Amino acid sequence: MKQRLPVIICFLAGAIMFLQYFSPHPVARSVYSAILDYWQIIFAFTLLVGVAAYVKSNLKQISRGQDIPYRLVAIAGIILMPILAIIGGIKIDSPFLWVFENVIAPMQATVFSLLAFFVASASFRGFRARNLQASILLGTALIVLVGRVPIADMISEYFPKLTFWIQNYPSMSARRAILIGIGLGSMTTAFRVILGIERTYLKGE
Amino acid sequence: MTPAGIRWIIFAGLFAVVTLSYLVVVDFGSLSSPEVQKSYDYLENLPEGAVVMVSFDHEASSLPEIQPIALAILRHIFRSNLKPVGVSLFAEGTAIGYRLMNKTAGEFGKKYGTDYVFMGFKPQQIAAILGMGESIKNIFPEDYLGTPVEKLPLMADIENYDDIEMVISIADGSLTVHWIEYAGAKYGQPVMAGLTAAMITSYDPYLSSGQLFSVVGGLKGAAEYESLIGRKGGGTRGMMAQTTTHLYVIVLIIIGNIFYFRSKTKSGAKQ
Amino acid sequence: MDIGIIIAGILTLAIFTFLYRDNPIYRLVEHLLIGLSIGYALVIYWQTTLVDILFRPLFTGGKPVLLIPLVLGLLMFSRFNSRLSWLSRIPIAFMIGAGAGVAIPAMLYARTLKQVSASVMPLIDDGGFHIEALVVALGLLSTLAYFYFSREHEGLMGKAARLGTYFLMVFFGATFAYTVMSRMSTFIGRIDFLLTDFLRLIG
Repeated sequence: MKQRLPVIICFLAGAIMFLQYFSPHPVARSVYSAILDYWQIIFAFTLLVGVAAYVKSNLKQISRGQDIPYRLVAIAGIILMPILAIIGGIKIDSPFLWVFENVIAPMQATVFSLLAFFVASASFRGFRARNLQASILLGTALIVLVGRVPIADMISEYFPKLTFWIQNYPSMSARRAILIGIGLGSMTTAFRVILGIERTYLKGE
Repeated sequence: MTPAGIRWIIFAGLFAVVTLSYLVVVDFGSLSSPEVQKSYDYLENLPEGAVVMVSFDHEASSLPEIQPIALAILRHIFRSNLKPVGVSLFAEGTAIGYRLMNKTAGEFGKKYGTDYVFMGFKPQQIAAILGMGESIKNIFPEDYLGTPVEKLPLMADIENYDDIEMVISIADGSLTVHWIEYAGAKYGQPVMAGLTAAMITSYDPYLSSGQLFSVVGGLKGAAEYESLIGRKGGGTRGMMAQTTTHLYVIVLIIIGNIFYFRSKTKSGAKQ
Repeated sequence: MDIGIIIAGILTLAIFTFLYRDNPIYRLVEHLLIGLSIGYALVIYWQTTLVDILFRPLFTGGKPVLLIPLVLGLLMFSRFNSRLSWLSRIPIAFMIGAGAGVAIPAMLYARTLKQVSASVMPLIDDGGFHIEALVVALGLLSTLAYFYFSREHEGLMGKAARLGTYFLMVFFGATFAYTVMSRMSTFIGRIDFLLTDFLRLIG
């Protein structure tokens, strides 16, 4: 029961969603639409479960006396946003959107911008022409780095063209091979999941 | 020098390079690349009143790079009297998309509900994209502000992708792939993208196969689009700093390699 | 000056302190960011999904069939009870199954067949000889050979796989350059904010 029921549901949902691709019948369309709605709704609940788990974990840490100020700040943040949304809504000029624009967005962008420093540091430490492969990687990177900024045109009108050529043919062909590999792999995994051969999603309660 | 010391010098150098070069305004003249030109030409040649869907498929973290792209495209859309339907398939893109659409619509005196709408966010991107192929009203019964879709005049004649000329996915990740592989492959919906530079090479095969119509990529793409619409913004402003940071990284790579080959020669001589 | 800009500026500088080393100021704003981001997502999910396509149609729109996803969604909470946690497998199985079902045609058509057909380009036509067609064919086949592990990479196969690594290096090199471009753009954006809005050094 604990294994079989989920496997049956997975098979039914998978088979219906696969077969609908070949059927324009109104009944098939409405079943398809209903499953798409259910999928979204269940997905939204997974976020609620994640939030509940995060709060639970923080409260546990607080009760143990670990990192209390940090944990309290995190929980306060979680509570604050719904309160602001209830008080002032979520439209333009609402406190909810104000916090998003002046606190969340700048902080997220800044955290992400730290990567610029680590990329620069990695360029110095790790980007070495140790062998032929590494040299090709290095050479391509240098050409594209110069070719995608305005000074490339000043060096030569062929520089940006060379950059696009590298990007559009040799680089693209390798990426395409990766894509095809992923496509074939995903397809066979999807078949295995629907047929109940692949059941790893049933682990880890 | 200790590794930490070298790291701090590299960090301080980057801070100085960006700050100083940002203070210098350099006019690089008219910028353009074939992909950006193709995006511009397509929107420019659409008839007035044509409906395009702009999907804000990104997080707040990439806002500094995404915003100039989105602003340039939205300004072109409103200037050309096209009617954008805004959606978001990332929760964080929702507030950003809503704000950017309101801001640019205000610049051109466009009216919410008739000239543009913002439908908001829906989770589970694949389900949302496929669902809109059947019925946009079913996926978005209300707009972002909770107005029923029946009360939005622009949405009166829009049922599904058949009524949308182009989907423009403004993305910082693989979400545009879902638009291509689900809306494009199943419903034949053309897709255009505004991407962060880091994602550009991932989309090259789709561009080459024609599954993706065109790409406006990175701050450079934004600068090129700004140049085409004749209105300079964040992209153009950042081009000098973009250039100097690339040169800075190149210098770091060269110095790193000089150290590497010197240490290799020394160790070879000792042996 | 706008209070929002002052707050955003202070928080931006607080995060940059991490470049020196991990410190309590950074950790505090980091946790604030996590909390606020979760709270934000909670509101957006609640308002635009649960209210919009579940609660309102279910309770005021006369769609009792929506009790099915409601119950399936609530089953996710069984994960907090070790005795009942197996029940959460049901909604997970539903989502995994639906995802697998829609993925098969998409992966076959959009990711595999379309990509393969796009790789077949004319080598010679009225426009002359196209070296690009040869480069794409060689790049694709040799990279696929590199990822083909059912046969030893020896002889011709080994040479093809080795050629594939060169094409992969070109791809990784281009991707690295674009990643540098992207990360620098983000940092430039933050410097723009600090110089223009926060410090007002640029008009």
